[in-house]
Amino acid sequence: MRSLDPKTHRVLDEGGNPAALTLEEQRQVQRLQAAARLLAAAAVPSVAARVMAALRQPRPSPARRVARWFTEAHAVTLEVRPIWSLALAAVLAVIAVFPAHGPGPALSTQEGVVQFVGRFPSAHSVDVVGSFTDWRPGVVRLRDDDHDGTWDGSVVLPVGHHEYMFVVDGEQWVTDPLAGRYVADGFGRQNALLIVRPAAAAGSGSQ
Amino acid sequence: MTAVRVLAAALVAASLPMQSGGGSSRLRGRVPDEALPAVDSIVASAAAAGLPTEPLIEKALEGAAKKAPPDRIVSAVGAGAERLRAAYALVARGTAPNASVSLSEVEAVAAALARGLDTELANHLAAALPGEPPGPALHAVADLVGHGFSADSSVDLIVAAVQSGLRGMRLLDAAASAILELQRGQTHAAALATVRRQLPDVPPPPRPTPVNVSHARRLPG
Repeated sequence: MRSLDPKTHRVLDEGGNPAALTLEEQRQVQRLQAAARLLAAAAVPSVAARVMAALRQPRPSPARRVARWFTEAHAVTLEVRPIWSLALAAVLAVIAVFPAHGPGPALSTQEGVVQFVGRFPSAHSVDVVGSFTDWRPGVVRLRDDDHDGTWDGSVVLPVGHHEYMFVVDGEQWVTDPLAGRYVADGFGRQNALLIVRPAAAAGSGSQ
Repeated sequence: MTAVRVLAAALVAASLPMQSGGGSSRLRGRVPDEALPAVDSIVASAAAAGLPTEPLIEKALEGAAKKAPPDRIVSAVGAGAERLRAAYALVARGTAPNASVSLSEVEAVAAALARGLDTELANHLAAALPGEPPGPALHAVADLVGHGFSADSSVDLIVAAVQSGLRGMRLLDAAASAILELQRGQTHAAALATVRRQLPDVPPPPRPTPVNVSHARRLPG
């Protein structure tokens, strides 16, 4: 902090003649006087004064209070016992693993459900490949969750005629022995033939 | 109005390549290059004749997936086109002069012919059932023939089923009932006689439950 020259001090405190000061000192006196005026004008009210001023303000309308409640930040403290946390986690896990089998989306009149079942005890994978998969494997993959050699799966297919074969372990083409309807594929094998019936028709069946 | 015409012309122009070469884009990269020109040509001539082309494209894709040699693929697609032509002629004969031929019905009849049904037998059945779409009736007969029933007795049962009031896909239920009687130990003749007595009250297949539908919507794979 710079100390004031005694002559400047005298002019400020005792109202001495500024003409006795150098030009630089006169400017410094002017700056200090301006700052003193600003400090005097912006007097900071005490805490008590601010509280009393707030009390004197009119009460805001209920709508404004609600709007303020929604827009202002709130501190929220959540106290949860560990046992309830574990219970909530268990419920969420059950929902994730066993999703609800509600009614599900209904079939349209141009769709039917088809179930595929095949017995392949030594297979590692069984695909259903047909006209409804554009003859690409890997689209409809059967499952054998209990590892008993019986592979199954069901799909929704459009109404009409569909040909298919099973593809075992990605390379062996096998005709479905349970299909009941067959058609020569033109390549030396037989495709199974599905006739998917409209859901609105009696029975809505398939195969 | 001019703008509408221009738009319509643009849409028609845009659809033309899809009709003639739409199959090519699906075939390219999957069907061997050696087979592509011949397959494209068969598909294009089928489209020009007003035949459905999807079964032909599917047959080519099937051959490629099964790693069939190119000449075998072309031959299978060509045979499919011939069946579609025969099916179209059969369906067109039963279609009113001013009505358009149903392409889905043509595909259904072609699929029945692919099951080994004789064209003459198919024409005979279609003639016996005027006003009926021939696809379901032909498949019902093919179901019966596939289980050892004679062609003539199979046609007779399906004609009787139509006369009793069964229509469309319900004809498949008449065939299924006869096959069920056979599996229960009846002779072919006895099975047909049993179903004739039941007509038209043959049981339909069970409807899928909501749970079945929900499971099926989650495509396995």
